[in-house]
Amino acid sequence: MEILSHDILIIGGGLAGLRAAIEAKRSGRDVAILSKVHPLRSHSVAAQGGINAALGNASTPAKDTWENHAFDTIKGSDYLADQDAVEAMCREAMERVIEMEHWGTLFSRTEDGKIAQRPFGGAGFPRACYAADRTGHNLLHTLYEQVVGLRIPVYEEWYALSLVIQEGRCVGALCLHFFEGRIVPFRAKAIILATGGYGRIYLRSTNAVINTGSGSFLAYQAGIALEDMEFIQFHPTSLYGTNILITEGARGEGGYLINARGERFMERYAPHLMELGPRDIVARGTQTEIDQGRGFEGGYVHLDLRHLGREKIMERLPGIRQITVDFAGVDPILESIPIQPAQHYSMGGIPTNADGETELPGLFAAGECACVSVHGANRLGGNSLLETLVFGERAGRKAAEQAGKEKKIPEEMIFRERLGAFQSRLDGIFGRKGEEPSFLIRDEMKAMMTSRVGIFREESGLLAARGKIQELKKRFLKTGLKQKGLAFNNELVQHWELEGMLHLAEAIVEGALARKESRGSHFRADYPKRDDEHWLRHTLAFKTEEGVRLDYKKVSITSYPPKERTY
Amino acid sequence: MKPNLLTLRIQRFNKEKDPSGWIEPFEVEVRKGMNLLEALLRIQDEQDRGLAFRYSCRGAVCGSCAMRVNGKDVLACRTHVEDLLEKPALIEPLPLFPVTRDLIVDMSAFFDRYRKMEPYLQAKPISPQVEYPMEEEKRKEIDPYINCILCGICFGTCPAFEKDSEFLGPAMLAKAYRFLVDPRDRRNEEILRAVNHQQGVWGCKTVFNCVKVCPKQVPPTYAIVKMRNRVLWYRIRHLISPSQPFGRFFS
Repeated sequence: MEILSHDILIIGGGLAGLRAAIEAKRSGRDVAILSKVHPLRSHSVAAQGGINAALGNASTPAKDTWENHAFDTIKGSDYLADQDAVEAMCREAMERVIEMEHWGTLFSRTEDGKIAQRPFGGAGFPRACYAADRTGHNLLHTLYEQVVGLRIPVYEEWYALSLVIQEGRCVGALCLHFFEGRIVPFRAKAIILATGGYGRIYLRSTNAVINTGSGSFLAYQAGIALEDMEFIQFHPTSLYGTNILITEGARGEGGYLINARGERFMERYAPHLMELGPRDIVARGTQTEIDQGRGFEGGYVHLDLRHLGREKIMERLPGIRQITVDFAGVDPILESIPIQPAQHYSMGGIPTNADGETELPGLFAAGECACVSVHGANRLGGNSLLETLVFGERAGRKAAEQAGKEKKIPEEMIFRERLGAFQSRLDGIFGRKGEEPSFLIRDEMKAMMTSRVGIFREESGLLAARGKIQELKKRFLKTGLKQKGLAFNNELVQHWELEGMLHLAEAIVEGALARKESRGSHFRADYPKRDDEHWLRHTLAFKTEEGVRLDYKKVSITSYPPKERTY
Repeated sequence: MKPNLLTLRIQRFNKEKDPSGWIEPFEVEVRKGMNLLEALLRIQDEQDRGLAFRYSCRGAVCGSCAMRVNGKDVLACRTHVEDLLEKPALIEPLPLFPVTRDLIVDMSAFFDRYRKMEPYLQAKPISPQVEYPMEEEKRKEIDPYINCILCGICFGTCPAFEKDSEFLGPAMLAKAYRFLVDPRDRRNEEILRAVNHQQGVWGCKTVFNCVKVCPKQVPPTYAIVKMRNRVLWYRIRHLISPSQPFGRFFS
């Protein structure tokens, strides 16, 4: 039996995974990255607007500080973020951003040659450091270049199928070489999950097609509870038609949101910050305009950048212009951009401490798949890129430290056993005579999540969603595969990812049904107020034979007691 | 052909089934605003679960879905199917690279060249607390070359490969230039030396094909011409004054 061994195996090659790999490698460990796509194809590449760090480079009357950043983040989270973790992130932000600049990221510049910073939603200072509107592209290419320089091996176009756990410790994973159709056990002293979000559970999502949440499901399946799954961020401005992201930076540069009557409608929802309110509030405002008939036919409103002028658009938002021209035939210099809200980010995920450790020894998580929690009920724009770097670095460092201490090498036997068990499970799936193809189930799930578990939720819709998920789970068990063999078997991979998505969707629905309050991105039309007395706590969803079991845990509060949240 | 029906003739390849490959026609019903990637995903769902192609972002930023459409190399996600309705469209994998399966090609030769360029900033020393100062004008000069998404499209259209299959390629020369003009990078001579040969800047035919086809408007030919000029400048300086620091550069 072939078995591959590394001190540390990182699953996922986006920003968090690459940053973790660099840190672990610099600590002298044998590190490898495994990813279902070439690292440069990861969804991090699509991030546009910026990365927050209180550098204080913009000319403002008062100087920005990391404490301001922490306060904005905590208020933005509707007080559900763990404040100690937020403080750690904001304190280390400057170091992480400067480091990226030193590694080659080409940030836009101020007049005095420093890293330029633009205003972003819910932030009291211009704090988002940006590389035009291609910040994710710039950061991801920089980190990949470093990975190449450090000669860190990458298993490209491999899928992690199952974690190997022995005596309460994660000791490896079973992984599929997609082109060769081999399942190979990997032995590792530590595994870091950095697999990103699961936006593709929704029909309307800004996420890449590959964002299926497979890493979150690996952890969930291994018995780890998922945290705060009901908190799904909807971005106010996705391009109508394809739902490709139109950065918050467009509003940061001064863009207006306009309804079909020609009104700057954010006046009704965030009279002070207007278009630069936090995302949950702007998304609800936008959806309300559409729902109440003040949108355009088809369900969208306008993002108007024309008053910014050609020069500013070409200089600060060239990528946006390229996207709207390519995908909607709209030139924002001349016309308004049709936009609608769409799923964008998953605040919830695999619970970790501030060093990326999960409750399972040997298993770490970082980036969007993790829930530290620094975003609580609503993430501020510019904080997800930051999270990947800060907690990628921390997880890489801690994993390296622990791998150095771990002397026990698990025997081959355990991997042989797990591989055998996995093979027989696959034989079962291949042996099934399918009644329907699984993509129908996938499409019904996506449509249902967007319509019932979207920006506005209420009990009747969520109960219907629960019923639908149960139906889809049953139907899923009767799906079969036409493609045989493991090599290039898209059908098998999509089948296996769909199983995970159905379970993640179930955790989202159950968390949302139970949480009878409105907080951040989770808005219950039947419970429109925040209820700190009962619900200032994190949801934990456990996978059981009978479905989801919910539990709760305390929010860590250091110096910012919950207050009413107005903008 | 019905006006709302798209016909794609897809070049298939599966070593085990038929090592010489075959062309297979598929029909897809067209939705308004549909792009080629969506059409391929539909085919994969509804007609042939085995059809193999790469995809990720569907927004023309990740570089996964490069392929040849009616003889032109493009990103599938950025190609509107409305433009392909006139006659059956021929969909092939990117040229030059060995085909792995259907529309998936083996890009390892591409990334081997990338690694050969040592494409990581080799920075001049600076305090860890502050950024390198840089003029916004300087950033704008580098930015067009930074926008490369390494999709491989420029390789297929480049005539330099006909003469020498070991040519470094437009994307890699643009990458070299990106580090050469970056004031933070201490390399100068090393980068020029790495491209100063027939498989580097001198292999380019300056026909600007790469500039025309790049989906991200990266202009590799400009980078190549500028690097040629720098090399020539060093040579001339050497003729005038052989004791200059770079005097022995090309001897």
